[in-house]
Amino acid sequence: MEIKTQPYERVTVVAVEGRVDSASAGDLEAELKRLIEEGKASFVLDLSGVEFLSSSGLRVLVTTLKTVRKAGGDLRLAAMSQRASDAIELAGLDPLFKTYEDREAAVASF
Amino acid sequence: MRTAKQPSPPSEAATAEVSRQTFPAESEQLRQVCESVREAASLCGFDERTSYACQLATCEAVENVIQHGYRGAAGGQVTVETRARPGDLVVEIVDDAPPFDPTSYPLVSDASPDDMQVGGRGILMIHRVMDDVHYERRGNKNHLRLTKNRAFTGA
Repeated sequence: MEIKTQPYERVTVVAVEGRVDSASAGDLEAELKRLIEEGKASFVLDLSGVEFLSSSGLRVLVTTLKTVRKAGGDLRLAAMSQRASDAIELAGLDPLFKTYEDREAAVASF
Repeated sequence: MRTAKQPSPPSEAATAEVSRQTFPAESEQLRQVCESVREAASLCGFDERTSYACQLATCEAVENVIQHGYRGAAGGQVTVETRARPGDLVVEIVDDAPPFDPTSYPLVSDASPDDMQVGGRGILMIHRVMDDVHYERRGNKNHLRLTKNRAFTGA
């Protein structure tokens, strides 16, 4: 799994690539925690490069969503790969997230 | 990791391709588990989306064995057997952890902004992907059999 972070004026874009399962979800959680501790609360997760997304990865997305919403922010999903989208729907978590066709639209939504 | 290509029983000789692999019960092995399911799904003639769904369901089941069966204890093993025929995949996951029946848990519902429950998502995914999910305790082993015989077209 690779994580690339790009700061914008009002939002931080986190692009996740590769496999997100119980072997790698901890790394994603640590990176998001680090950004939250820096004071960030508005995130766009670019999931276009996700090849595999298990419930361990989804758990990180939901716990982060809860944390940032409490802080007045949000976590929105952009450019989901079919695989990421299928995993989120299969887990019944799609009602939780605002999703956007591409990264630019997600950034502009904040 | 042990790999063994099993000869098919005579009644299925013409159609079933059987493969059995045993992995250490560690999350670092999930990629290999996926690969074994991908190969079997390919033999079944499944499309890419159905193959991925089967990989996802199998990995959720193996993650359950690692986390809830062995509870993180070192030294456990999990065997993944695939039986592939055109249009029909059976994945059997066998472990010798204490009894753990993932089918005994009630399925959670879709989440909502007022109910962001994260537990139970893996088991929900398994049931939504697979056409049959069967658990059995045989001797001192857990057997979870997942069957897929219809194309996956979405949750």
